[in-house]
Amino acid sequence: MIIACTVTLIGGISQSCTNLNKKVYAVVPVGNFYQTPDQIAAGVAPAYTALQNLPDGNVMQMNEITSDEMVVPTRGNDWYDGGQWQGLWLHKFKPDVFVDGGWTDLTKGIGEVNFILNILNGLPNKPSNIANIVAELKVVRAYSIYQMMDMFGNIPLVTDFNTDPSKVTQSDRATVYAFLENELTTNIPLLSTTVDKTTYGRATQYFGYMLLAKLYMNAQVYTGTPQWAKAIAALNQVINSGKYILQPNYFDNFSITNDGSSENIFVVPFDKVHIGGMNWEMQTLHYSNNLTYGLTGQPWNGFCATADVYNKYDASDARRAQFLVGQQYEADGKTPLQDPQANLPVIFDPNITSLSDASGLFRMAGARNIKYHPEAGTAGNQSNDGVVFRLADAYLMRAEASMRNGDAASALADVNKIRERAGVADWTAGDLTLPHLLDERSRELMWEGWRRQDLIRFEVADGVTYFTGARTPAKTADGDTHTFVFPIPAPEILANPNLHQNPGY
Amino acid sequence: MHFKTLLKVSCFILLCLFVMPAMAQNLTVTGKITDSKDGSPIPGVSVLVKGTSTGTVTDVNGNFKIAAPSTGTLVITYIGYDRKEVRVSSAPMNISLSPNATQLNEVAVVSIGYGTARKKDLTGAVENIGSKNFNQGAIINPVDQLAGKVAGLVITQPGGDPNQNASVRLRGQSSLKGGLNPLIVVDGMILDDPNQFQNIPPDDIASYDVLKDASAAAIYGARGANGVIIVTTKKGQAGKAVVTYDGLVGTSSQSKYYDLLSAADLRSAVPNLGALDKGANTDWQKAITRTAYQQRHTVSISGGNNNSNYIASANYSNQQGIVLNSGKEQLGLRFFGETKAIDNRLDIKMGLENVATTRSLIDYANFSYMYNSPPTYPVTNPDGSYYAYSDFNEANPVEHIQESYFKNYEYLTLINGSLDFNITNDLKIGGTAAITRNNVQEHGYIPTFPLEGNVNQAGQATENTNSYKTNAHINYDKTFGKSTLNVLAAYEYNDYFYSNYLAKGQQYITDNLDNNLGSGNSLYNVISSDKQEFKIISYFARVAYNYDNRFYVTGTIRRDGTTKTGLNDIWGNFPSFDVAYRFKKDLFANVEWLDDIKIRAGYGVTGNIDAIGAYTSYALVGPQNPYFDAVTGSYPFSYAPVQQENENLKWEERKGRNIGLDFSLFNGRLSGNMNYFNDKTTNLLSDYAIPEPPAIFNTVLANVGSMTNKGFELALSGEIVKGSKFNWTANGQISFINTKIDNLSGTYQIGTNTYAVNATQIPVGYAQGRGLSSNPITFLKPGYSPYVFFLPHYTGVDASGNQTFDGQTIAQNPNPAGHYIDPSPKFSYGITNSFDYGNWTLSFALRGVYGQKVFDNTLLDVATVTRLPGNNVTKEALTNGIKDAPVASDLWLENASFLRLDNMALGYSFKNVSFASNLRVFLAGNNIFVITKYKGLDPEVKTENAAGGSLLFGNNLNGATNQAYIDANYGGQAYYPRVRVFTIGINATLK
Repeated sequence: MIIACTVTLIGGISQSCTNLNKKVYAVVPVGNFYQTPDQIAAGVAPAYTALQNLPDGNVMQMNEITSDEMVVPTRGNDWYDGGQWQGLWLHKFKPDVFVDGGWTDLTKGIGEVNFILNILNGLPNKPSNIANIVAELKVVRAYSIYQMMDMFGNIPLVTDFNTDPSKVTQSDRATVYAFLENELTTNIPLLSTTVDKTTYGRATQYFGYMLLAKLYMNAQVYTGTPQWAKAIAALNQVINSGKYILQPNYFDNFSITNDGSSENIFVVPFDKVHIGGMNWEMQTLHYSNNLTYGLTGQPWNGFCATADVYNKYDASDARRAQFLVGQQYEADGKTPLQDPQANLPVIFDPNITSLSDASGLFRMAGARNIKYHPEAGTAGNQSNDGVVFRLADAYLMRAEASMRNGDAASALADVNKIRERAGVADWTAGDLTLPHLLDERSRELMWEGWRRQDLIRFEVADGVTYFTGARTPAKTADGDTHTFVFPIPAPEILANPNLHQNPGY
Repeated sequence: MHFKTLLKVSCFILLCLFVMPAMAQNLTVTGKITDSKDGSPIPGVSVLVKGTSTGTVTDVNGNFKIAAPSTGTLVITYIGYDRKEVRVSSAPMNISLSPNATQLNEVAVVSIGYGTARKKDLTGAVENIGSKNFNQGAIINPVDQLAGKVAGLVITQPGGDPNQNASVRLRGQSSLKGGLNPLIVVDGMILDDPNQFQNIPPDDIASYDVLKDASAAAIYGARGANGVIIVTTKKGQAGKAVVTYDGLVGTSSQSKYYDLLSAADLRSAVPNLGALDKGANTDWQKAITRTAYQQRHTVSISGGNNNSNYIASANYSNQQGIVLNSGKEQLGLRFFGETKAIDNRLDIKMGLENVATTRSLIDYANFSYMYNSPPTYPVTNPDGSYYAYSDFNEANPVEHIQESYFKNYEYLTLINGSLDFNITNDLKIGGTAAITRNNVQEHGYIPTFPLEGNVNQAGQATENTNSYKTNAHINYDKTFGKSTLNVLAAYEYNDYFYSNYLAKGQQYITDNLDNNLGSGNSLYNVISSDKQEFKIISYFARVAYNYDNRFYVTGTIRRDGTTKTGLNDIWGNFPSFDVAYRFKKDLFANVEWLDDIKIRAGYGVTGNIDAIGAYTSYALVGPQNPYFDAVTGSYPFSYAPVQQENENLKWEERKGRNIGLDFSLFNGRLSGNMNYFNDKTTNLLSDYAIPEPPAIFNTVLANVGSMTNKGFELALSGEIVKGSKFNWTANGQISFINTKIDNLSGTYQIGTNTYAVNATQIPVGYAQGRGLSSNPITFLKPGYSPYVFFLPHYTGVDASGNQTFDGQTIAQNPNPAGHYIDPSPKFSYGITNSFDYGNWTLSFALRGVYGQKVFDNTLLDVATVTRLPGNNVTKEALTNGIKDAPVASDLWLENASFLRLDNMALGYSFKNVSFASNLRVFLAGNNIFVITKYKGLDPEVKTENAAGGSLLFGNNLNGATNQAYIDANYGGQAYYPRVRVFTIGINATLK
């Protein structure tokens, strides 16, 4: 038998003795993919899946915890994490791995699109709608480039997959601004104007105009020159299209089934089974709140809001219900919720006087936000789709631009649409002030990832230290405005020595 | 083993021919000569009446009969044993001979990879350890038999989990991402994965040969960089069939506990516990553990004649873990046979080994639950049901361990055969073929726990690691006058396959549906599978020449080609060159106390391709995150590149230089060797940061950077007392190894573009626990050993109990500056002593490491008073004065130097037993004590970062993700406690 084996093997050897060709079984060589329409659709999809880290990840946290809206105090042994959460609140930004997480979440979206564009460009048989596909991809990419420029200021602007990495340098905000303005105005007209299931979670023309409006709204921050009229024009394209209406119930925009919202212009879809990453319930709720909402794991007791934020709402404001304060209950609505480890009842107290406290009581500090309503049977990975752009923001941006552009009447009409939906009294002309408008934006767009940008814009336009000023708890005024942008993360400078650190870091 | 027998038989024949006929004497003396170690009879021993030429030799049963004057003395000599003189007695004389310990033994033969060499002819740094020197008693992995025995070989069994893989390091670490365990070669077959060795029954092993330096390991080419351990299993011997039985039973218990608060301590520390006090007094450390029992039995039958031999053995072992519901049960069957044909010119060998292992694994998260649970909670309710509770990272660990199950069923089959044909006396051709199949079947179930609101989950998975290997070789061995030439040329072909598939589900409507996986909530059903293949094809040759057994030269060359490396670097060359000189004859011919002395020098190149996956070099797309298709309401997969390909990937290259000295003094009473080596590894594979975009990944696996391993090893072996009744031998070894990363800078290529990387440091290990996320504390940094710590310096507490770091509290400076601290040991050592007195033997083995530091992550988490009252703490937390949240600092980086009494065995050999030619009983202890200042459970933790774990349930099972020099992984609190084991056992050879 052994002889037979050996003979067979020696025979086999002569066949294959120098054959080192590889065989691939469970993956596909790049050259064999992107052949059919289905493969192209699956190959284009990463432009969108790359956004799945944005609505509830480091980017959102960097834009909210640096503002007045969200704070993550150190509770006993929890949430110290190398000082990263306190550092965001105190504006002591470090070029650390946390900040790098925000950077790489954004560069992912840019890099994936560059890769796909390069593949599409090289296809021998291009689909008939190639121009529309390419335009959509470029507009989606523009969103990540825009966020990156807004957060980090001087960024590498790389739009060609075949760029030599050793030649990549930074572009300043004005350059990126000009690029984005051109990229958007050129490509938006090639995008779809259809708003239905075929474009759900995809970039339409209205996505493009919302992004363009964000660019113009903050033009003064980026270039020194405001562009209120251009912002209004872009927003008119969205509002006047008639494709969107304010959802009568504010919370329908964020519910587990918010794919039915007629107000949301662009969302990142999530699903409890298939698309993970929406962990709102875990981040904000108390450990024991699993008993309230039927969660299958215990929440992390982290993100919360201070009394300053909570008290901005009138008692009658429907939007105030997004915050939990006071005694919490189990699912029956009657049994008071206990914190067994602290041996105390769970009574959320928005008055936060310290950034770090080991007492049992401090585990209950801060108002909790359930705007994205918790989903029974989950422990994170909720099904609520993450909202990026919605009509209410368009109204509030247009109101601000109109007001700053000298048209208070239009501004008042736009703001009152939002206030009426919230169930609070209309503003009179006398109520319409810029500080009030900034507060209204906070009430409406709470924890939606725009607050840092809003505070900086108002600070630049109006000369009030909304962003850099002191805040309770513990934050003192920033020494200067270098904190308007984050530091370039150290790992990125390591990876590309051409990158220079932002001033002040 | 069988060479020794061959020699015994040949000596016997020679002596029969040449010994003079006996002359007339006045007394007939009879006796039996046995081996002092195991009591086995020695045939062919020369027995001579002193001062005469009268002599005889022992027969196959070791018996002799000789006529001698009643006042005479018998001189007993036998190659490989110490000479002995005994006064003549009229009663039957039982004489035991001690094997001589000389390192330059004339006859010892060692494996050098694809062949053997006489020990005295070795030109590289090769160490041989036979079964007589193995650690005895309980072992988790057969390599534990070698722990502390070989200079430069550090074997760490991290914790007491019978399912943990051992960490084996030979001459330091020469890779940052690749495997670090030496290549393990069993009977000429390279194991597909060194961890498969854990499944080989330890009693089947006859000896180990450790190829330490790069020139010795170079014959294994692209896979030799971590050194090579060659394992030889037991073989049958010519003679009548021999039946042996080796068995042991033992108990293990936890060797050390943390000093956690008892319920009474907690009540006095926190007067108002309220609802936290359930009136119980539970020691959770003891609640999840037990005194564990183990047993191991091996029966073998072996035999043969001049043309053939065989051995068949069966092994059963059952090793409970001290943590409830953990353990390992193993059943192994082995056969090896060899026969010769065509006038003994054709040699046919065949080996077959099949081992079925059942592992019961536990989720290491339970260790966190154990530390977190208040001692005032009971384990069970009065009615016997589990007391249920649940909080963040806290639940009843006894319930979780007992009610969940994670079983792995592993089936390892090794089949090999070889044919060798002597064309002439000098020229031999041959071929080998081997098939390895390793099938792992996982089956797991997590039930719904009352009050926890979790969903039940079940899954099954199968992994197959198969390989097909063959080689063809030519040997030419010739002696011309004083010259000896040995030549080997060979071709080798290896084809490796890996595949897996799994299915899992959740939300089963009743428990016990884990064998009906599809019956849960169909939304959550998961299926997945994978398959990979790679090949290695090699050509290699060795030429060894020696002149007059004085001057030696060896050269090898191996050329390896593989599908793993990039298309631009398929083939690589791995040469070596050695010289050696035995100079006793030339320089010290008249120095009587010097038996032999040899100086060696070698240079070799070896490689490591472990870090490169089967397809890492290639541009591939695969399914990634699903996206939402609202039209159909479905979630198709997006497809995107799966990795940053690198077509220029190649093996890491270790260039080693070694000089060594072997010596034997005082007629073999003192022998030893020393080695100095200086190895440089270049083309280090690691994940280096690259700019994204343009890349779509932020790291690339590339060959950048270099590191150095330098070291000195000394091994001594002495026969301190040598008498007729009492013998004392001692072996000691010490090794100094200095591993340093030289740089992490260089260039890499993707396609045709060349890019630069310049990594000043790469974070590796993390402090873990609540409030400690994103907290890297160990780094790869040029100028330091791997995993250097970078930690703030603790400088006590302020008046309010806030920790200060370089004088500042966290409130004053949220980001305290770090300091680099090298955790690597300065040296490691082992000392083995054995004593023989009559029928008694006593041996003990001490092993130690000096200068090592270990980060006590468990104490960082648990010695924290802010955990009270909800989570338990150590008593130290009440007294250390720290009142604020844990911060990873040098306070927790502890001196982990240690000296361990690793193994102690007391044996008694019964002589003249009617049914057995050898019968020995022994009592052995393992880990009897450890002397250390380390405050954690045990100073031996894993010293490299290894990934792995369960396909089904991630990395928490079996503690698969370990962090270098950090005591625990999951949640910072998961070290499976080390055990102390006592065993009693029997070795018997039946007549």
